[in-house]
Amino acid sequence: MAYSELVKNFDKIRAYMREFYVYGFKSRTEYDAKSARSYDDERRRIESWLGDYMRFTQTAEGKNVFLSVDNRVSQHNPFYKAWKAKSFTDRDITLHFIIFDILHDASVKMTLKEIIGVIDRDYLASFEEPMSLDESTVRKKLKEYIEEGLLLTEKEGRQVYYRRTEMTDLSSVQDALDYFSEAAPCGVVGSYLLDRLAADESIFSFKHHYITGTLDSDVMALLFDAMSKKSCVTVRNLNRRENEPKELQLVPLKIYISTQNGRQYLLAYREDLDRISSYRLDYLSAVRIGAVCEQFDALRATLCELEKHMWGVNCRLHAKHLEHVEFVVRVGGDEAFIVQRLAREKRCGMVEQIDETHYRFTAEVFDTMEMVPWIRTFISRITQFNFSNRTVENKLRDDLEWMYRMYGIDGGDEA
Amino acid sequence: MIFSELYSVYYRTVAKILSLVVTAETTEKDICRQISENAFSESVLTILPAFKEEKWQLLDRELTTSILHEPTMPLTLLEKRWLKAIMEDPRIKLFDVQMEGLEDVTPLFTAADYKVFDKYTDSDPYGDEAYIRNFKLVTEAIRTRRPIRITMTNRNGKEVWVRCFPQRLEYSEKDDKFRIIAAGCRYSQFNLGRITTCEFYNGHGPWNEVPRENALREVVLEIVDKRNALERVMMHFAHFEKQAEKVDDLHYKVRIRYYENDETEIVIRVLSFGPYVKVIEPESFVNLIKERLKKQKECELV
Repeated sequence: MAYSELVKNFDKIRAYMREFYVYGFKSRTEYDAKSARSYDDERRRIESWLGDYMRFTQTAEGKNVFLSVDNRVSQHNPFYKAWKAKSFTDRDITLHFIIFDILHDASVKMTLKEIIGVIDRDYLASFEEPMSLDESTVRKKLKEYIEEGLLLTEKEGRQVYYRRTEMTDLSSVQDALDYFSEAAPCGVVGSYLLDRLAADESIFSFKHHYITGTLDSDVMALLFDAMSKKSCVTVRNLNRRENEPKELQLVPLKIYISTQNGRQYLLAYREDLDRISSYRLDYLSAVRIGAVCEQFDALRATLCELEKHMWGVNCRLHAKHLEHVEFVVRVGGDEAFIVQRLAREKRCGMVEQIDETHYRFTAEVFDTMEMVPWIRTFISRITQFNFSNRTVENKLRDDLEWMYRMYGIDGGDEA
Repeated sequence: MIFSELYSVYYRTVAKILSLVVTAETTEKDICRQISENAFSESVLTILPAFKEEKWQLLDRELTTSILHEPTMPLTLLEKRWLKAIMEDPRIKLFDVQMEGLEDVTPLFTAADYKVFDKYTDSDPYGDEAYIRNFKLVTEAIRTRRPIRITMTNRNGKEVWVRCFPQRLEYSEKDDKFRIIAAGCRYSQFNLGRITTCEFYNGHGPWNEVPRENALREVVLEIVDKRNALERVMMHFAHFEKQAEKVDDLHYKVRIRYYENDETEIVIRVLSFGPYVKVIEPESFVNLIKERLKKQKECELV
C-alpha cells in the first residue's frame, strides 16, 4: 500500500512514539518490527507530524531517531497531533462536508431521501465522474453521526427527519481549555475543542508534565466510559514478562495517575483471582465494554478502604498483615523545608517530631518496596530504619553501601 | 472513541479551505498556504491532488465549490462529556466560563474515577475567593501586558512586595500549584498561593531590576539496567530534553538538560534510583551527590 501520513490504527504508532520519545537510543536495525519498511513509514509519519521535535544521532549501529521535548517550553502537548492523523475514505470526507452543508443550521431538517436527492443534484452533478453514494452509505454515515452526537432524528408520522444538534458557544472557555487540555485526563479532547477556536497564545506552561500519557487516552476514555456504566471490560494486557498479550476480564474501578514517574494505571477487580490489581495503561489495548457489574459500588468502596494503606498502586484484597515502615530523619534548625516536605509528601503515613532535631515517619502499607525511591530522597539525613519487611530494609542498607563504594566515599575506590 | 477523523488535521484544513473558497476568490497558492499553515509537513502532497483529481468531491478542477456555507460542526458527544467533566472540577472556578447545553450530558469522568496518587498534599486553595481574584488579575495582566504589584510573606515571616511583568502561569502537576513566571524582577517565579495581595502596578518610578539568570544545565547519568531501571529512569525523566545512548547490554548513558533553579530537585530525583543510576558528569553535580552520601554516612544509621 502507498505511504500515507494518516493511520487507521493508533496502536502501532502508539508503540513507536513511546520508543522514540521515552528511549530514543535504538537504531533502525534494533526495532523488532516485521519489516524495515514498516519502521521507515512510522518514522516518516512521526517526522511529518512532529518534525520540530525530531532529533537524530549517528552511532556505530546506525542512525538513531528520537523525540526530544522540553515540556516547560511547549504550551500544548505535541503528541496530540498523532490523534489528529486518522485516515478516512474519499467518501467519508466528501459526505461529511456535504451533509453539514445541507444541514447547515439546527432549524434545517430533511429525510434521508431528500438528503440523497440534494447531494446528487446540487453537490455531485458538476463533477466529471460523480461519486456514487447509495442510500445505505448515506444512511450509515447519518447513523454514525447520530451516535457521535452531531445529528438528531425527529419522527413526524412515518417520516424520519435528520437535523444537526445545536452549536455550542465556546468563546468563554479558551483559557480553561488551554489549561485543562494539559492538566485533565484525556486532555486531547480539550485540544480538539481548542482546534475549533481561533489560534491564541496560551498563558499557561507546565512543569512535571508527562506528555506520553496521552498515547493511552483512548484506553483511558473507554475505561472511564465503562466506569460510568459500572460495567465490566475485556482488555488485552501485555505483561512485561510475557511476549504475547493476554485477554483479561476486569471490573475497572479507578485510574491512578502518577505525577512523579509518568505512569498511569488501572485499578481493577479480577474475579477469577478474587483480587484487586493495578494494570499499566500503556500495556492495555483493545478495551471492550461488557455487562453491568452488580458489585461495582461495593468493589469501589473496598478500594477506597484499601487506599488507607496504599503508598502507590499495590494493594491486597485479603491481606492478613500490613508491613510496618518507620524511619527517622535529622532536621537542622534552618531546615524547616524538610519538615514541610515530610508533611506534604507523607501520603498514608504519619510524621511526628521526636526531639528538637529528629522526625519520625511511620506507615502501615501493603508494599514497602513502593516506598523505597521516596525514602532514598532523604539520603543525607536518615538516622534510623525499622521495617517489618527485613528483606527490603536490608536491600536499602546494601544499596547505600553500594552507593558509597560507587562514589568512592571515605576513600574507597569509585566503582 | 477518541481516534476519529472528525477531529483530524485533514478535516480541519479542508474546512478552512472551503471557508476561504465560499467567502472569497481562491487560488491554488491560497490553498497551499492553508495546508502548510494547518496540516502536517507532507499534507500538501495529498490534499491538493485529492481536490484536483476530484477524489474528494468538494472542489472541482477550477477550484470552485458547490458548498454554500462556511463549514461548521456541532460538538460531538465525546467533546461535551469531557467539557462536562472539567466543569465539575473545582479548578474551573478560576475561569469565567459560561457553558450551556450540557445539562443532560454524562461527564466522561468524575473525581471518583481517578486519583493523582503521588501529588503533594499542600495544593493551592482553588476555592479561596482571594486566590481566585489574584489568579484572574494575573491572567488579565498577562493578556494585557501590564505590570503588577504583589505582596507576600517571606520565609522569615516578613511581608515583602515586588513589582513585575507576569509572563505566564506555570502549573506543576506534582505540586498542584501555580507559579507566576515573571519578567522585570530579580526573582522570576512566585507561588501564586503565597501571594497575599495582588494589584495592577500604576507607579512611574525608575525600573531597572535585573532578573537572575536561570541557566540551562546538563547532567550525564549512567544507568545500570537492573530491576527495570532503564525503563523507570527514562519514564521518570521523560519530561526533560534528553538524549540516551546504549553503552553495552547492561549500561546506558543519558544526558538531561534542566534549569539551574531545579538542581536540588534533580539531585534528589537521581538519589531516588539508588545505585542503579550514577552521575558521570559534570564534576560539580557528582560532588552534590557525594556530599549527601558523606552526610548520610555520618548519620551512623541504625
